[in-house]
Amino acid sequence: MAEQISPEQLKALQEKIKQMSPEELKEFQKKQCIFCQIVAGKVQSRKVYEDEKVIALFDISPANPGHLLLLTKEHYSIMPQIPDDDVAYAFMVVKSLSNSMLRGIDAQGTNIIVANGIAAGQRAQHFMVHIIPRKDNDGINFVLPQKAMEQKEIEAIGNKLVAALGGEEPKRDSKDINLDDISKMLGVK
Amino acid sequence: MATRESCLVCQIVGNQIPSKKVYEDELVMAVLDVNGANPGHCFVMPKNHYPIIEQVPDIEIGRLFQVSNKISSAIFESLGAQGTNIFVANGIPAGQTVAHFTINVIPRKENDGINLQWQPKQLSEEEMSTVELRLKEHTKNIGYFEKEEKKARVKAPKPVILSEEEEEYFTKQMRRLP
Repeated sequence: MAEQISPEQLKALQEKIKQMSPEELKEFQKKQCIFCQIVAGKVQSRKVYEDEKVIALFDISPANPGHLLLLTKEHYSIMPQIPDDDVAYAFMVVKSLSNSMLRGIDAQGTNIIVANGIAAGQRAQHFMVHIIPRKDNDGINFVLPQKAMEQKEIEAIGNKLVAALGGEEPKRDSKDINLDDISKMLGVK
Repeated sequence: MATRESCLVCQIVGNQIPSKKVYEDELVMAVLDVNGANPGHCFVMPKNHYPIIEQVPDIEIGRLFQVSNKISSAIFESLGAQGTNIFVANGIPAGQTVAHFTINVIPRKENDGINLQWQPKQLSEEEMSTVELRLKEHTKNIGYFEKEEKKARVKAPKPVILSEEEEEYFTKQMRRLP
């Protein structure tokens, strides 16, 4: 639980944060983030997979037995902050974890969920992917309502998205990811 | 390109069914969902026909989620969303409705009627240990460093090859869809 702090302390803290260099700010964020503490091994967790870039562990409030979290070791609050190559790598591992569930614990399906922002259900300030093993009648009920849109609205929203995506194509070389690229990506030679 | 005539998504990719495209490259296509959970809800899909994620090659997985991430950023920037979800249903028990791997990118606002929450389940220590042991049997095969080698190298996540039986199991389930 967060300690109660007085308005004066809060102000002093805000002042201190303002004066921090980007490096100091990053360190500060890491100290505040429980998942960075887990990554650093300072807080205990049950890991099922770890490499230089990512870590997978059990959710302590699982939707189903075997519910895993995939975290980047680097601290990112939300997915849009993550570099392209790291996104690709993280989800290649997610795919393997999903496959482990089908094979290892008789899952009949899996859900893969990312929440960016509190309105989307994000609870921790560290990017993570939920991988949830599913079975028939397991009591989980995700609700995605269907809202019909007018053709005009579809065009308008689509055009806004296309404009925002302009020039923002993912790196083409990601299709050539191979062992050497991944090694380079992970900073080894 | 692997396509399946009866597949709704393959028909969208092949332009037999009209759609509002927001992104396309040689591997990936993204369109607006006309009956989305919120306005701006996009589908990101591989152009090749793969029923579930395990069948999608790693390279395409990387690209698909990179594109999903770009769309998620675009939704923040251009639609004033307060959040985004990236959601995949893999297999019928997980809520998959079309037998073609699809990523949902969903703009979110407070109280928008979408629910991706769950009731946490209480597991006994024994249950927990069993699941851990059985999962680790498989996760130990995922990419790792071979540090003892002079030239350190990383194994890419192992390609997944479904046995014919497994493929049959998933596709059979999916054919039962309305």
